[in-house]
Amino acid sequence: MEAAATLAHARRRMIATTGIVLAVVIFFAIVANQALVASMLIAVFGTARDPVFPTPLLDLTPQHIAIVIVSSALTIAVGLPLGIWVTRESGRDFRDVVSAGVDFGQVFPPIAVLAVMFSAWGLGPAPAILALFLYGLFPVVSGTVAGLEAVPPEVIDAARGMGMGNWRILFVVELPLAMGVMLAGIRTSVIVNVGTATVAAATGAGGLGLPIFTGISTENIGYVVEGAVTVSVLALLFDGAIAVLAMWLAPESSLD
Amino acid sequence: MAIASAMPSESYPSAKVVDRAASAGAVVALAGCLLLPFVEFRPNRIVDGRLLHLLQCAGVWGWVLLAVLLLSLGAALLPGRYRGRGLLAGAVLSFGALLFALGSATTKLMPAGDTPARVSIAGGAWIALVGIAMIWFQGNRVARSHKASAAAALTGTALLVAAWWFGGLSQLSLAVEYRAQADTFWQLTYSHVLLVLGGTLIATVIGIPLGIVAARSGFARAVAIPVVGIIQTIPSLALYGLLVIPLAALGLPTLGTVPALIALTLYALLPIVRNTFLGVSGVDASSIDAGLGMGMSRRQLLWRVEFPLALPLVLEGLRAALVLTIGIAAVMAIAGAQDLGTLIFLGWGSIAVDLVLLGAIPMVVLSIIADQGMRALESVVVSPGIRIPREEELSA
Amino acid sequence: MISLEHVTKRYGDRMAVDDLSIEIDDGDVAVLIGPSGCGKTTTLRMINRLIEPTSGRILIDGTDAATLKPEELRQHIGYAIQSVGLFPHLTVAENIATVPKLLGWKTARIVSRCEELLALVGLDPAQYSRKYPRQLSGGEAQRVGVARALAADPPILLMDEPFGAVDPLNRDRLQGEFLRIQRDLKKTVVFVTHDVDEAIRLADKIALMRDGHLEQYDSPEQLLDHPETKFVHDFVGADAALKRLGRVRVDSVMRTGQATVRADQPDAIEAACASESRFVYLVDADGVLVGWIDSRVLDRGTPAAEAATRVDWRQAAVRPDGSLKEALARMLALGYRSLPVVAAGGRLLGHVTLSDVEKTMEGGDAHLADHTDNEAGSIGGGGE
Ligand SMILES: Nc1ncnc2c1ncn2[C@@H]1O[C@H](COP(=O)(O)OP(=O)(O)O)[C@@H](O)[C@H]1O
Ligand SMILES: [Mg+2]
Repeated sequence: MEAAATLAHARRRMIATTGIVLAVVIFFAIVANQALVASMLIAVFGTARDPVFPTPLLDLTPQHIAIVIVSSALTIAVGLPLGIWVTRESGRDFRDVVSAGVDFGQVFPPIAVLAVMFSAWGLGPAPAILALFLYGLFPVVSGTVAGLEAVPPEVIDAARGMGMGNWRILFVVELPLAMGVMLAGIRTSVIVNVGTATVAAATGAGGLGLPIFTGISTENIGYVVEGAVTVSVLALLFDGAIAVLAMWLAPESSLD
Repeated sequence: MAIASAMPSESYPSAKVVDRAASAGAVVALAGCLLLPFVEFRPNRIVDGRLLHLLQCAGVWGWVLLAVLLLSLGAALLPGRYRGRGLLAGAVLSFGALLFALGSATTKLMPAGDTPARVSIAGGAWIALVGIAMIWFQGNRVARSHKASAAAALTGTALLVAAWWFGGLSQLSLAVEYRAQADTFWQLTYSHVLLVLGGTLIATVIGIPLGIVAARSGFARAVAIPVVGIIQTIPSLALYGLLVIPLAALGLPTLGTVPALIALTLYALLPIVRNTFLGVSGVDASSIDAGLGMGMSRRQLLWRVEFPLALPLVLEGLRAALVLTIGIAAVMAIAGAQDLGTLIFLGWGSIAVDLVLLGAIPMVVLSIIADQGMRALESVVVSPGIRIPREEELSA
Repeated sequence: MISLEHVTKRYGDRMAVDDLSIEIDDGDVAVLIGPSGCGKTTTLRMINRLIEPTSGRILIDGTDAATLKPEELRQHIGYAIQSVGLFPHLTVAENIATVPKLLGWKTARIVSRCEELLALVGLDPAQYSRKYPRQLSGGEAQRVGVARALAADPPILLMDEPFGAVDPLNRDRLQGEFLRIQRDLKKTVVFVTHDVDEAIRLADKIALMRDGHLEQYDSPEQLLDHPETKFVHDFVGADAALKRLGRVRVDSVMRTGQATVRADQPDAIEAACASESRFVYLVDADGVLVGWIDSRVLDRGTPAAEAATRVDWRQAAVRPDGSLKEALARMLALGYRSLPVVAAGGRLLGHVTLSDVEKTMEGGDAHLADHTDNEAGSIGGGGE
């Protein structure tokens, strides 16, 4: 039974991985082919007003991805260690204040964080990235803390009883067991970032929000749809990629 | 003999020599005050602002603020019994000093009479506020006294009012902007609240039955849960963009309240459907067996057993939906919805920082009210038999 | 009366219950027993139609259960299960009130019924009514579960391993209380267990099942003495004789009229020991057992009072409603050939001897005989 389930999981995982890689390739193939994009938009909206946004998707999409990846990487680079630290003996004093701050932060609307960052640092991608980084921290830290604290103490006790040191316990026992919940936090963070990065186009950050905003203000539905469809697919691809990542990194939590 | 000293002594937070979290808060606040600009002064809307440090602009209040922050740092060293109250006092006084320092800086910088000049809060003051919040939080935690916490909160509010009326806080750019926009501001806040409540209400009416059906039927589950999940993965702005085509095809308005309400409803569905589903399908099989065995009909079982047991999760879903839609409603301002987002986008468009904050800050306040309000509601309507016991109740 | 007529339940090609026919008389406790997976729960749940039989009929007082509305049927059949299934969001009182509320009883009647039932199952209503299930111990929860099943005074009670999840000490106590309650209420009970001792102690009739079909349906005595198949014999175990003791109450073989003296009266003790009675029981002013003296081990010259064995009645005695099996176990554990029998507060009532237990075990009718102790006359003034 056990072995069969593991085998089935391995097969599903291979299929999912292949699927997501294929989807990403197809996505970029379409995005890179401006002529194809244009002909599709014209097919739907006609040529009465040019429905194709002047800046090609091949420029906008990497901008968007870059904002998301840079901010998410920062988020993970700060959030994971912070979450780990407050669950260690050395950082335990800060656990409650950090959790309270993180809980409070998650109540903030992301657009409000973006607004505050804009107020402090003005236009451009940098304040947007900073806002995304800050807002993304909350789910990552709370996921990390929740994941680590959900590790049963008797498992840690058993590991200690086998003579493992603190670091080894962290890497061999705690992190693998917490991985599922931690990845859920990272997923929330990244998905919110993709969405907030879209809004950030209004503060001059660029990206796929640009055609949507321009389309709305010039009443050109073609622009709106071009941006909306692309960024939606992008968000779903990020989502799928993290789900596949979870199948590799935390197989037991993605088992049925 | 080493064993005793190696035992963790975390039963009482102040058992340690120094409260590290509170002192870290004090250090953060001090650093913010000393290293970063405290306020920004703009003679008019065109020229770039001038950033001023605390001691450059706040006069004697600057020194008072530094002094009370140092006192708070000292309170972190007090012995157990006095530490909590000491920290609370330090936090409240620092908060007051910060407000009066801001007010005094504003009064000093603003020229007399009707003027386009503006003084706004800069990074250092924000960071000091975060540090003070840390001290305050630790104070509440260590003091473990409802009375002390309430007294601190009351004093803080009184100081805010005092700084507003007598301390010059009301001359801050944000306040000036508010007075200029007061009518619009309240109208937009009102319609923001209506939009959020409307979207969440529709989503509740659809989502709770959908969640229950999903818990009953494997097919509904396999369809509904992924669909609401996908909806929420799509960025809110893009969701609006995708709605435009079917709306246009149906002859419905593509701008204004209607698309905003639809988008909010769709967004609010996920937490409500998923939590109702989880709540109802998570009800213990033995409770269901007992209910059926006692002769309850499916409907009686649902309303007398399953739904009350799922209620904490359902309410949590509603809470999440409210908090979520407060933010999404603002984004929908770009599609012509009249709400606090209107101020934000207007501010972004004209690079008017204060206008942006005037939209953002009440959203944060609304979110906090929604969050705390739903938690309060939960503590009233959820049976004590299934409520997670609070820390105080456990220790009592 | 409940009759199951050729009842069969099939899951796919697996027969969970296979052509089962039994009749349960009013006021009887019928115990369904057998190895795990033999179809006990399935049988039980077909009676209140939580499971519909594939074929066969179930008659309740002559009416085919299939013709009744399932909800109404169930509202008139009490149901208690191993996992208890108390509703965690309702208080103990509200849990008990569930079926009466479904039946539309008046509030006052429900309240008084709850108090009555809590008292019946041995829980103080004032203390327990407003508690929530999570505040109860396992044993308390089971009691509430039974009270809830009895709430609307149903003539029939279905119990699926109701004491399966409590510790042995509590289970023993709950079984005793079940018998006490059942003596008063005379419900028709279908009781599922996999514990042979429990079955033998509680049952009027035992249905032993295996792989969905009935192996034997008989009184416990018949099952123990005349197992019809090797499976039955193996299942009840080689210690059938010992098991039979589980059904015999201590007071049915208890001897009275033992020598009893006040522990604080040395002269009376000397006198009692000088008589021919072997055991002299010592009690306090209230008649509570405090110890005894075995006159055969008395040394000449030492005061009898100093040779007394001081005991705690909670450990070194049995209760009259306990089983002989328990008495025997205690004798063996303590190494005594005779054991005092005490009432609830420790008051000495009589004693049982190992030889009487042996006689009972050998199938003799010792427990039906007259049990006044004619070996030792009544001496010492009975503890006055
Ligand atoms: N819903 C079901 N579907 C399939 N098989 C079942 C189902 N319920 C019970 N069974 C099977 O029927 C048999 C009898 O089960 P049950 O009555 O629960 O046994 P017991 O209570 O004696 O342990 C078992 O082999 C069990 O696997
Ligand atoms: Mg069973």
